[in-house]
Amino acid sequence: MSRLQSSINTASADFRRNEAHNRRLVAEFKAKQEAARHARPQRDLDRLARQQKMPQRKRIEMLLDPGTPFLELSSLAANMAYGGESPSASSIVGIGMVSGREVMIRADDPTVKGGAWYPLTVKKIVRALDIAMENRLPVVHLCDSAGGFLQLQSELFPDRYMGGRIFRNQSMLSKMGVKQLALVFGHCTAGGAYIPGLSDYSVIVRGTGAVFLGGPPLVKAATGEDVTVEELGGAEMHTSVSGTCDYPADSEEHAIEIGRDIVSQWDRLPRWEAQREAPEEPFYDPAEIYGIVPDDIKKAFDMREIIARIVDGSRFHEYKPNYGTTLVCGFANIWGFKVGILANNGVLFNDSSIKGAHFIELCNQNNTPLVFLQNITGYMVGREYERRGITKDGAKMIMAQSCSRVPKFTVMCNGSFGAGNYGMCGRAFDGRFLFSWPNHQIGVMGGDQAANTLAEVKANQMKRNGGTVDQRAIDQLWEETRKAYQEQLSAYHSTSELWDDGIIDPLDTRNALGVAISASLNAPLGPPGYGVFRF
Amino acid sequence: MVLKLDLDGTVHHVTILARRPHLVLSVDGRRHVVENLDEAGDGSRNLTVDGEPVAFARAGSADGAIIRLNGRSFALRRLDAAAEASAAGGGANVVRAPMPGTVVVVHKRVGDKVQRGETVVTIESMKLQMKLDAPRDGEIAEIAAREGEGFDKDAVLARLAAPAEG
Repeated sequence: MSRLQSSINTASADFRRNEAHNRRLVAEFKAKQEAARHARPQRDLDRLARQQKMPQRKRIEMLLDPGTPFLELSSLAANMAYGGESPSASSIVGIGMVSGREVMIRADDPTVKGGAWYPLTVKKIVRALDIAMENRLPVVHLCDSAGGFLQLQSELFPDRYMGGRIFRNQSMLSKMGVKQLALVFGHCTAGGAYIPGLSDYSVIVRGTGAVFLGGPPLVKAATGEDVTVEELGGAEMHTSVSGTCDYPADSEEHAIEIGRDIVSQWDRLPRWEAQREAPEEPFYDPAEIYGIVPDDIKKAFDMREIIARIVDGSRFHEYKPNYGTTLVCGFANIWGFKVGILANNGVLFNDSSIKGAHFIELCNQNNTPLVFLQNITGYMVGREYERRGITKDGAKMIMAQSCSRVPKFTVMCNGSFGAGNYGMCGRAFDGRFLFSWPNHQIGVMGGDQAANTLAEVKANQMKRNGGTVDQRAIDQLWEETRKAYQEQLSAYHSTSELWDDGIIDPLDTRNALGVAISASLNAPLGPPGYGVFRF
Repeated sequence: MVLKLDLDGTVHHVTILARRPHLVLSVDGRRHVVENLDEAGDGSRNLTVDGEPVAFARAGSADGAIIRLNGRSFALRRLDAAAEASAAGGGANVVRAPMPGTVVVVHKRVGDKVQRGETVVTIESMKLQMKLDAPRDGEIAEIAAREGEGFDKDAVLARLAAPAEG
């Protein structure tokens, strides 16, 4: 494998302009992330202190093995929903090391509406448990939730991937032999009660921890019974009478200590043996990514320059370098793990699609995980390309990618438009993890294109109906469509809706992928085979 | 077999013409006879090139070798065949449209001197702006691209003057 030769001029005006632009975007992202993590109304922080509770991040810090990394997922979930009142969708999710094991950590956030679950909280929890199932990661739940946010119950309760899915996933995890531990720090009310109920192990803190299907006010309303929290679902009752929880703890610190000891009892399921070499830092400075990604989403750039700043030693074995050049394919190592990379260097043509499909097959044959670096404006359109079968060639790539047995990882590096998103392992294709950069935009088409298309449709409609075209109405439609698109295209909207596993600083891409690939090795490879390729 | 070697940044083409009785090489088209290769075991070596004795030392690295000769060090790197293949294809006389699209900016005028890799036109197609660069050093002989106008795949957007003989 030879080292990629970078042709970036770090002194050029383009580089400096891009760098200033991207550094500003990353600063904006970090400010939003910092606020979502820590900015809370003083009264909520005061209440937490009065209850002698630690903030959730402090609990996680104590739970993790000292000095080990924690990959937080979806830190800006719900950032554009509910008027911003549910930072991080009121929950913290991430992968870390506890007692020497890679685990999924999922924590309620009691500083937001008593830890109530918003619809996007439920989506985030379901996703966390999906990740746990797909990668066979044990789960530690840090419970402190008032239950579902009742005002929005219709959006979080009834459907397939809503509330019930959390408990279905918990049951499946247990059946698969993937352990779960619940540490009950605060209330687990209503549905939330099933989290410790369905965890294989549970610890509950005396005085503050409580588990019940209905809290005292609901019991009073339903049956007229007067009962205290302690009597109804406190630590003593559950660990000595009902058996709903296993271990009482005297304090939060004590609960964490017991929890770490429980995790250290767990057997280690066999990991899948991936090809691995000694890790090596990239030869080129990853910080140069800021100067490479253009300040305008329309401007093209060479994805090899990005690959050179993510992979070990900046070494890359490029596959079929002269064929289908708009899709760069090749082998590299990330934190020592062998991966097959597919990266967009322009629109997908017939040849690039076929090359992509073939390369995906090679990686499946070679047991090599796939990394998709997306910057895609779609598959080529037009008469010539349709006649050559661009649709069926794109379908080959989607087929190969969908049926892959090796783990897949996707990074949204710039743009993701149209069906290119599908071929390049967009969210719908069950990649193990999908991360976005702050500059990323996603949509079925760009804002200008959508506005143009709708304006043309509208004008034709007017011609059919009356013969005259009202240009002012058309202009207004164009402007409105473009504006609405622009907002929905942004990475913040995307991550708010959990279409990804979080926005990351481009400089963290290598580390995020390293943790993600390592986590993925806990699950065995999927079954081999594909469907029918259309030739 | 042609080996491509990068010696301190300059690429040399080496062809092995014969191995016996002496090693005969063509280096960038010039013929050299190499004899009496002798390894001392400590990394230092002696050989005869075109009848002249040469003593040097060699240390291998992952990418190639470092040669110590006449009190100087040279970095020698064998260019990767697969990587090289992608870099080939230069030397053409035209800037050709890789796909249908529209011209956004024409950066050069007829008569301008350009270097290989310098942008001649910026085009837009499928929501993406791409810079089309000069395939080699030369002078612009013709610009067919007009800003705002469309073109088909493989259209010639600019042409370089034929290189002078020599």
